Amino acid sequence: MLEHHLSADSRPERVVVLGASGFVGRAILRRATEGGSEAVGLSSADLSLLAPDAADRLAALLRPQDSVVFVSALTPDRGRDAGTMLANLRMAEAVGAAVGKVVPAHLVYISSDAVYRDDANPVTERSCCEPSSFHGMMHLARELILRTGVKAPLALLRPSLLYGIDDTHNGYGPNRFRRQAAKGEPITLFGGGEERRDHVHVDDVAELTWRVLARRSSGLLNIATGRSVSFREVAELVVSGFERPVDIVPTPRANPITHRHFDVTDAIKAFPDFHCMDIASGIARVHGEMVGRGHG
Amino acid sequence: MKPTIAYLGMTHLGLVSGIAAASKGFDVVCFDPDPERIATLERGDLPVVEPGLPELLAENRERLRFTADAGALAGCGVVYIAPDVPTDDSGASDLGPIRALLDRVEPALAADASLVILSQVPPGFTRSRQRSGRSLYYQVETLIFGRAVERATQPERFIVGCADAAQPLAPAYRSFLEAFGCPILPMRFESAELAKISINVCLVASVSVANTLAELCERVGAVWQEIVPALRLDRRIGPYSYLAPGLGIAGGNLERDLATVIGLAEREGTDAGVIRAFLDNSRHRRDWALRVLHAEVLSRRRNPVIAVLGLAYKEDTASIKNSPSLALIAHLHGTDLRLYDPVVPASAANAPRAVGAADPLDACDGADALVIMTPWRQFRDLDPTLIAGRLAGRTVVDPYGVLDPAACRDAGLIHIRLGAPLSMLGAEADA
Repeated sequence: MLEHHLSADSRPERVVVLGASGFVGRAILRRATEGGSEAVGLSSADLSLLAPDAADRLAALLRPQDSVVFVSALTPDRGRDAGTMLANLRMAEAVGAAVGKVVPAHLVYISSDAVYRDDANPVTERSCCEPSSFHGMMHLARELILRTGVKAPLALLRPSLLYGIDDTHNGYGPNRFRRQAAKGEPITLFGGGEERRDHVHVDDVAELTWRVLARRSSGLLNIATGRSVSFREVAELVVSGFERPVDIVPTPRANPITHRHFDVTDAIKAFPDFHCMDIASGIARVHGEMVGRGHG
Repeated sequence: MKPTIAYLGMTHLGLVSGIAAASKGFDVVCFDPDPERIATLERGDLPVVEPGLPELLAENRERLRFTADAGALAGCGVVYIAPDVPTDDSGASDLGPIRALLDRVEPALAADASLVILSQVPPGFTRSRQRSGRSLYYQVETLIFGRAVERATQPERFIVGCADAAQPLAPAYRSFLEAFGCPILPMRFESAELAKISINVCLVASVSVANTLAELCERVGAVWQEIVPALRLDRRIGPYSYLAPGLGIAGGNLERDLATVIGLAEREGTDAGVIRAFLDNSRHRRDWALRVLHAEVLSRRRNPVIAVLGLAYKEDTASIKNSPSLALIAHLHGTDLRLYDPVVPASAANAPRAVGAADPLDACDGADALVIMTPWRQFRDLDPTLIAGRLAGRTVVDPYGVLDPAACRDAGLIHIRLGAPLSMLGAEADA
């Protein structure tokens, strides 16, 4: 549950996004710019959070009035092992040390729903955290590092599966399906694509992050649509955007079917006039953007 | 000769029980240490809303004596300790006032008077108050807000906790209980104390099952109200079982019992996982109306106006403790609201953008949606056509189904209730 420290929206003076060259970081930086804040994006090229002097260098850049959004991470496509997890924890350690030296006005950490038990359905902010992956364990440990060491109001945001035109990952789901279809390849499902998941458009993550910044909220919030759909349905929605036929190909099932659903009541309570775009609208938007860029 | 009965603590339980005892022909002393409360009762003003209570008071007034003088207890043969036990937000009971009352009045009682604790106390409490030479009992109360008179005058049974269940009850106490003509079940103090909790946990279990399956109905196209008659005809479930889905546990008493069981289980090392699941489910269902309103109205309209009928936690009571209606309103703080309840004033909602309406249809005037949060009988008589004529929108969120779904459909309303498919969600925006 979030607690708003400002009773009405107030534009942050300066928003510093750590991890600003990534898929999520770019979207948040863009939203902060649109919102009229001075938006400062830092990527690993500007400041490596793994460098021995990272904490000092970051502290030198921060001001007490800043709202800091911490998105930087070595994502699972860069490694799913313990070494990647430990590197990610060192990055969090550096951020924690930096915001200890220069306490910002607000800190927002973009975590993940991977912290929850695989069978925590429907997932709420009170669901049991029992990650089954190094990625999930990393986010949970990072949250603990920040919770215990940060004096600024801290918001922890845990988005579900993300998609969007600029997603560089090629994970199983809307992004991969669209790329397969655009290349004229069949969309390959695991089994019959029966698993249901809650897919969130990255712009909704950016919008909610912006609202959290504007109310200087602290606490915990999941980011999800509240409506889970099967991968088969996602594939069919992707295919519906293409004029040429695209095959959807099931494969023999290797793993048991699992589902994930979210109860988004806390988000409704925090921001009653906000709702995430549904998957059909989101996929249509991405398709339109793809066509606009001359692909597909 | 009939004993004089005394009730101590003139809140809901003590007041209704005292008047019910007078209706059985006993002289009754109604004691409360607060002289102002006694003065109010002396004037015939009842501080609680209960159907039939004013009439019962009027019929038996000559046998009732309201007093703040503990000396009046000296001539009583059976003395009930009956104040409501306050609970905090976690459902934990505050037994301090009960202890203080016992300490104050015990010296004032006749040596042979039976002292009966009627207020709900946790297992172990009554035995801890056992004093040499005093006949002490714990009697289970089964007060239901809105049906308190019926429950007090026609109890199903008396559950009586005793220091030693093998010993006969004190004659005065037994003669009083026998006047009600129902079974008397003596048992150990601890069993009776836990029996009360057991009753409530069984009720919560039934409602939790109904809530769980009603939510599934909403998703898979089934209608819970069609399933219920089939369950009631099953002898293992029964015709009176609690199968109506609701908006979570409210009122405070059930939450207190669940908290007590969890606390005891933690202390004794027993498993209370299922009790926590009941609480989780209750929390989840409490926000049903908010989720529906968000999907239908809040996320689709700018500056919507919402009409809310019902503020009390259930019908026929003025109690708002843990009211689902007030919980909903608390999350609509930025929304214009039009509120109406037959007994609870709109000011009780403490909502800055709320206005009180003169009647149910007045509340509907110009609203984008209507939410019926308390199933008051008078709301059942509302004509959906008139509602449709006053609303600006078409959405009626009616969790308890007080309006007839077919009549609502005929009136052009989108009627959404617990346990019925949500396939109509979004229909208004798409229409």
